[in-house]
Amino acid sequence: MNGVVAALNACEGLHQRGFTFVGGKGPGEDLVVSFHQLRLLARQRAAHYLSLGLRRGDRVALVIPEGEHFIPAFLGALWIGLIPVPLYPPLSLGKLDAFMEALVTILNVARPRALVTSARVGKVLWSAVGQIPSIEKVITSEELQAKPAGALPEAADFKEEEIAFLQFTSGSTALPKGVVVTHGSLAANCKAIVVDGLRADPQRDVGVSWLPLYHDMGLIGLVLAPVLFGISIVYLPTLSFIKNATSWMEAIHKHKGTMSFAPNFAYALVTKRARPEQIARWDLSQMRVFGCGAEPINPETMRNFVRAFAPAGVKPESLLPCYGMAEATLAISFVGLDEPLRTDRIDADRYHSDKKAAPAPGGALEVVNCGRTFPGHALSIQDEDGRLLPDRNVGEICFQGPSVAAGYWENPEATRAAGMGTPGGWLRTGDLGYLVDGELHISGRLKDILIVNGRNYYPQRLEWVVDEIASVRKGSAVVFTRPGAASEEIVVAAETREADLAALKAQIVARISEEFSLAVADVALLPPGALPKTSSGKLQRRKTRDQYLKGALGKEGRGGNARLAVAKHFALSLVGRAQHGALVFFKRLGGA
Amino acid sequence: MQQPIDVVEMFKQAALEVDNRRLPELKAETQISTLGMDSVAVMELVSYFEEKLSVRIPDEELSRIKTVKDLRDAIQRLLPDRAFAA
Repeated sequence: MNGVVAALNACEGLHQRGFTFVGGKGPGEDLVVSFHQLRLLARQRAAHYLSLGLRRGDRVALVIPEGEHFIPAFLGALWIGLIPVPLYPPLSLGKLDAFMEALVTILNVARPRALVTSARVGKVLWSAVGQIPSIEKVITSEELQAKPAGALPEAADFKEEEIAFLQFTSGSTALPKGVVVTHGSLAANCKAIVVDGLRADPQRDVGVSWLPLYHDMGLIGLVLAPVLFGISIVYLPTLSFIKNATSWMEAIHKHKGTMSFAPNFAYALVTKRARPEQIARWDLSQMRVFGCGAEPINPETMRNFVRAFAPAGVKPESLLPCYGMAEATLAISFVGLDEPLRTDRIDADRYHSDKKAAPAPGGALEVVNCGRTFPGHALSIQDEDGRLLPDRNVGEICFQGPSVAAGYWENPEATRAAGMGTPGGWLRTGDLGYLVDGELHISGRLKDILIVNGRNYYPQRLEWVVDEIASVRKGSAVVFTRPGAASEEIVVAAETREADLAALKAQIVARISEEFSLAVADVALLPPGALPKTSSGKLQRRKTRDQYLKGALGKEGRGGNARLAVAKHFALSLVGRAQHGALVFFKRLGGA
Repeated sequence: MQQPIDVVEMFKQAALEVDNRRLPELKAETQISTLGMDSVAVMELVSYFEEKLSVRIPDEELSRIKTVKDLRDAIQRLLPDRAFAA
């Protein structure tokens, strides 16, 4: 199969289609780069890299906020077999220290020889560079724009198993894991997305994306797959969308977009922000695909979105729930085109007690159907011992096929544990779900990851911060998520002897916010011994969460206040809040 | 003569409109990160200032803004001719 570099090389003369960067020439002025030009820009970057002494197999870290500079820098590295390591730029408010810490940790695992960044971001990054011994050169994206001396290099040839780039999953952790995407897994997954999943037609389709380019969905789904198949894309800076969510729909309207992808929270945000007069003005009727992935899908959010934007021509069948992760390169399953949102109502008691998804019309749990996997790939549900489970039995979702990434960068142990690195092996996704006639339903999570606004966070990191607060009982903090309308919401549970619970709650909220820019939706403070522990005294995160969602957490704890708080949690979870990763809904009001 | 820009009062109004959050205790020295807003809401709040005052805070400056005063200073640099409330 042709890879991304070979496809880009074949773009010579392709002037009619390409990438548009909203505001790329200045406020209100878009920059249009045809695929023909993009090939040239990539080759120019490649020539600079070679003249700086970089060679095939060297890692190059990319911290470049502007899409029009990031994409040529990334493709230029691929062109000659450098291994790009894309990272997010420091763009959130007041988070420079936390950003630098994560950057240094990740790059000391990836060990790049060079860092490419913009001159403006570079000023901020200087102090971090000294802490990354492998970096020999810092190159600005402005320097890469200059015309290189000498001939432009020809495209390298790649074997399928050769490394294309490293994808470090977002969120910080003590030992970051970089997913190794190969040229083979990249091409296989791009084909699955564009050909099998979207049946995209380069002559007709236009994608619109505000997704960050350093993240799998934005980078693979909306940069590399479009390069491979020559599909035009319009890019809106992520920050423009975050500052004003309606700019997303404005861009679709203006550029007659037909496809877009975003996490659940973005659909909630744009539904909240769009004014009726804007919706009346927009024509979104040419949109074939509103893809939704990267975090759990709340069916109510998606229904509200379609309802609100119906006057602009948004069709129910344009919604496309999908499922994937960096370890699968990107996509694992897509719902069929022209299908409206479908959900499965199941019996809550049987789900929790027997791990069975028994159909129950009007049942308490509503699970989104995330569709089928692609030709040449397979899905299975397995128990803890790796036995395959039949339909409607809940277990770990496992995935097999040419899209599965080669493993984690220089981490054979984690690679083996996740089922990667062996041809024909099953990738263990860490997510819980069940199959019905080949259609995947995701109902929960085995791995301990918090997913908020499409970003992953490790609960341990948050727990350490809470544990450092003096009046929190040492080692008692448990952090987990509960389903929310827009995204998952953070809940902190901890044990304390503190009398002033309100002050301690405020302190916990402030510390988590300071360190991670995360809003804490609820804090459950309990007397010592109230949180569930194993016989060896280890805290049980999943059991704590289950008890919390059932309203049973610390029931035997403190008197009135604790009980009132628990009752309030339960009431909230009843009123249209999804359980288990926002896929599942309580409907039985007053069932406490 | 234009009114002086009161960033603290504007911040309270923005938090109410963007995040439905009342901040009666807010001061110039308040660390924005301690208010319990998520990063999306905070950026929407920045956008509120940019729209009301027709300015654009450079992206790379955002990561250095920690307090309400830092935000005021960043805006003041963009509007050197305007008066600001203390």
